Amino acid sequence: MSTVSAEATTAGATTAEAPSTPFRGLVRTVLRLHRSALWFWVLFLAVAAGALLWAYGPGSDAAWQEYRTAGCAQGGLSPGCNTRVPAYQWFFTVTDTASELLYSVPLLTAAWAGSALIGREIENGTTAVVWTQSVSPARWLAAKLAVPAALLVAGTAVLSLLHRTVWSADRELWDSMGLEWHEGSIYTANGTLLTAYTLLGLAVGVLAGLIVRSALPALAGAAIGFAVLLNVIDSLRTHLWPVETLTREDGYPDYIGMVVGDGALTSTGARVSDPICVDDAACLARHDVVGFYRDYHPSSHFWPLQLMETGIVLAVAAVAVAAAFALLRRRTA
Amino acid sequence: MTDTAIEAAGLGKTFGRRRKRALHECAFRLPAGSVCALIGPNGAGKSTLLALAAGLLRPTEGTVTVLGTTPAAARERVAYVAQDKPLHRQLTIADTLRMGRDLNPGRWDAAVAERLVTDGGLDPAAKVRTLSGGQRTRVALALALGKRPELLLLDEPMADLDPLARHELMGALMADAAEHGTTVVMSSHVIAELEGSCDHLLLVGGGRVRLAGPVDDLLAAHALVTGPDGDLAPHTVVESRVTGRQLTALVRPAGPIGAGLRSGEPSLEELVLAHLRSPDAPALTLTDERREAAA
Repeated sequence: MSTVSAEATTAGATTAEAPSTPFRGLVRTVLRLHRSALWFWVLFLAVAAGALLWAYGPGSDAAWQEYRTAGCAQGGLSPGCNTRVPAYQWFFTVTDTASELLYSVPLLTAAWAGSALIGREIENGTTAVVWTQSVSPARWLAAKLAVPAALLVAGTAVLSLLHRTVWSADRELWDSMGLEWHEGSIYTANGTLLTAYTLLGLAVGVLAGLIVRSALPALAGAAIGFAVLLNVIDSLRTHLWPVETLTREDGYPDYIGMVVGDGALTSTGARVSDPICVDDAACLARHDVVGFYRDYHPSSHFWPLQLMETGIVLAVAAVAVAAAFALLRRRTA
Repeated sequence: MTDTAIEAAGLGKTFGRRRKRALHECAFRLPAGSVCALIGPNGAGKSTLLALAAGLLRPTEGTVTVLGTTPAAARERVAYVAQDKPLHRQLTIADTLRMGRDLNPGRWDAAVAERLVTDGGLDPAAKVRTLSGGQRTRVALALALGKRPELLLLDEPMADLDPLARHELMGALMADAAEHGTTVVMSSHVIAELEGSCDHLLLVGGGRVRLAGPVDDLLAAHALVTGPDGDLAPHTVVESRVTGRQLTALVRPAGPIGAGLRSGEPSLEELVLAHLRSPDAPALTLTDERREAAA
């Protein structure tokens, strides 16, 4: 009886020589069970990629064309021209919608994983069907994680790359919309975070499904759980890399990049909260204010910040996956 | 090759935070090749016992050995059909059988599964969600038999079937089991459903094993006694009823039945009902060592 796990492994190894391996069979089964989700994902990718490709090509061309015709493009874009060019409005609407669509992928993934991927299967008792084939519950869970993860990583990586391409090609258009590199949905879609958060959504959803064991409550649990984690990690974002500081004596420094904090400086160099004297010299002297500072992340901090946050997100996802396997092990033989 | 299909020792399972006890101190041994009726009232722990043997649940106490190993290691050789016949509603029948093929590489017998489905007049392209309860039972059984199991665990398999389909499906099941020497455990609370097809009996009640052993030996170990009211010592009395001065009792004789009492072998139904009506009667477990020694 002590060789149980060894037996299981050798059994797996011998059947692997059969025409269809258990692994391939499991992958086919997961794809077959979640065919509609697969089609949804394909459609989603087509729509989002289509929108981004349009924005990259004809969308931005038309916007620039109209800008030039309207005489807005002389010496940099003038914000006042925005409202008068419909092609620009189109570009804005499409790219903004695409960013938001991409941003919604992790949350949608969490909700789907909690309900359709795991919760519904436990609720309907169909886990009993799958677990009594020649497939252990742990392998089943591994397949339920690995197959969606592969498709989600591939899809989100392509979308992020496209998003970044559109972003870098038409920085001026985005700037004129007041959209900077650190804007929530743009920041996420332009780097590795979209993929990382999508994997976190998958892991949290699967864990919620296993805990709640029924489709609709798991959907809610997964969405809430993911939203909480997203907000917690989001609040840490600015602290993940050392900030740069700007100082100025006669007022606040420029507001640029991802601003972390600002305030007044005393003659000793101490940071104090702004006494709000505005231009009152006596007031400033009374509070010993000799200048102002602003902590911020320049755009060169994009990758260090992204990679730090990606690491944290993936670590949390790994914890959720480990918890899911531990929970399953405790319940089943 | 082991000659024991299922062996339980001190097996117990409690559920939830309130430690609701579904099974407690269960011990029995089921020889390979037998067809066993698992009988008990609702909530007796039948489903829990089958789920433990199928490796779907982890026991909270004791052990259950299946085909000489743990339920997890025996997974490939065991088939199980749950009480409510769960199947993936979004799949077609053909897809469901394809899943059986994909998840049982090297074991799957497509012909057996497909025959069971077509014998029921089912269209393989039909979605599972459109099937009636009885039709779902048929597909669930096809999935279980297609796996070519050495041990087949069926939880209330015939509950959703009309009498004709029940007769036909039970016949197909028994023929298949006899042909391949499959051990079958079938739970039910309808005794008549199992009488005639089962050679072993496992009666559970209140989470414990009440009776276990070959049906013939269990019947032979009991006597249905009628006669004038009197002392039944030294026999073990399972149940006794007195109507006027007339005594009817089911006993386990410890010697010749006393004079003045008529005694006969009970039917399976009488044996089971007497035990169900008397939850405090002592448990009896018979092993068929005698039979094995003869064989």
